[in-house]
Amino acid sequence: MSNTEETRTEFHQLMDEVRGDLVRMSGLVTEGISTVTQALLGNDIGLADQISSGDDEIDLLSVEAEEKCVRMLALQQPVAVDLRTILTDLRMISEIERSGDLVANIAKGIGRLQGVELDPRLRGLLDRMSEQALRLTSRAMDSYLDRDAGLASALSDLDDRLDELHNDFIETVFSSRNDRLITTQQAVQLAVIGRFYERIGDHAVNVGERVQYLVNGELPEHKGAQRARARREQGDVS
Amino acid sequence: MVNTHNSEETQARMKVEEESPRIDVETAVLSMTEDQVGESDAKSASTVFEVSKLNVFYGDFCALRDVNLDVTQSEVTAFIGPSGCGKSTFLRCFNRMNDLIETARVEGQVRYHGVDLYQSEVDAVEVRRRIGMVFQKPNPFPKSIYDNIAFGPRIAGAKKSELDDIVERSLQRAALWDEVRDRLSDPAYGLSGGQQQRLCIARAIAVEPDVVLMDEPCSALDPIATARIEELIAELKTDYTIVIVTHNMQQAARISDRTAFFSVQVTDAGRRTGELVELGATEHIFTNPDDPRTEAYITGRVG
Repeated sequence: MSNTEETRTEFHQLMDEVRGDLVRMSGLVTEGISTVTQALLGNDIGLADQISSGDDEIDLLSVEAEEKCVRMLALQQPVAVDLRTILTDLRMISEIERSGDLVANIAKGIGRLQGVELDPRLRGLLDRMSEQALRLTSRAMDSYLDRDAGLASALSDLDDRLDELHNDFIETVFSSRNDRLITTQQAVQLAVIGRFYERIGDHAVNVGERVQYLVNGELPEHKGAQRARARREQGDVS
Repeated sequence: MVNTHNSEETQARMKVEEESPRIDVETAVLSMTEDQVGESDAKSASTVFEVSKLNVFYGDFCALRDVNLDVTQSEVTAFIGPSGCGKSTFLRCFNRMNDLIETARVEGQVRYHGVDLYQSEVDAVEVRRRIGMVFQKPNPFPKSIYDNIAFGPRIAGAKKSELDDIVERSLQRAALWDEVRDRLSDPAYGLSGGQQQRLCIARAIAVEPDVVLMDEPCSALDPIATARIEELIAELKTDYTIVIVTHNMQQAARISDRTAFFSVQVTDAGRRTGELVELGATEHIFTNPDDPRTEAYITGRVG
């Protein structure tokens, strides 16, 4: 009995296809992040319009990938690493798809900034937030492709850096508003855009948690779930 | 389980049994204090079988090597693995069915409630009464439905007046009573395959065993009949310990509490020896098995 003999070729090919779909989706998100930041800093509305077609492509890939997962669950009775992979894929599809939406939201926000000239501090922070969001997204995908639980768990540290940048950015937006460099309307728009970058990082962290499940089989349990479990064990059902 | 001895012989043998190992089994279980129970897994009262260092040979060919495994009371334990991995051979060790194969030889220990089943004083017939078996193909006797069930209890000395009760209870327990109550004197061969298999299960439990061994009990049945047997297994496990060999991994996943995966090692001379690779909670085996060989087999990455 050979140890490498494959007996479920069609099934495993379909799994490879879904992995390819995820790679493309993630690639479109990282591409979208750099394009949208370029558009934001260059105040280029035309460039921003390109973003929405990228997002449509991500949406279509996510539907196709999900259909393949449903088909495998229904027809192939996946177990063990196959089961964990498909469950991880399904969660990753929605995380990456959400990141794509956030990129599209940033693009929409550019129009609402009404061509404001951003001061160098804001520009610098936006650039660094964008870089960090892009790094998180691509590292999350690397951890999935390499089945690297260590990298996957390190994503939350990378995300702390993005959160710090986001805090700095919000403070800078407020001080710019106080110095009357931007209007209240523009300040609100910028704060919202900053928030979108920050959320992209959170989705990458979620992907990392799913990759850890894929590798070691343990579902992530957050502090809230731990608290609720403790309460339930004490018989408090409120 | 086909018992061909006449009832006097069996009764005489059982009288002898009363005074020796059978009592040992009972007292071994009953005399355990609560402290002892659960103190050590291997000695816990909920452990029905403890298998240690078991080797099985057919002539000089080693079919199964160095198996160590426990079977827990009121649980369904499933054995899975490729053909030739020794899982059926192993199942037959639990009620000494391998004794019936001339060249078969068993080394190591199979302890049943603490008593070594392969001690010379242990009576294989009594072992098989306590540890019943259901086979791959339904094998009713060429008798009536009633007599199929009454056969074992009659040999065991049940009174005529008790038999009706035993037959009804056994058929009910095997979820067959409603289908056959009006035709108990009809030949068992008139039943469908699925009904015949449930009849065989009823026949196995009519002698009130402790354990029911099942060797691919659904492989000759259609999906609906299979589903009924699976449901029956889930019900029976409250009263019986069940050990099942199955080629159907999804079946093992659906019905068992623990799953043991056996594999085959091929020697340079081309001989195939079975070995236990991994035993674990079924959910664990099917979501995140410890051994890469288990994973390769259940995900179909090994033929």
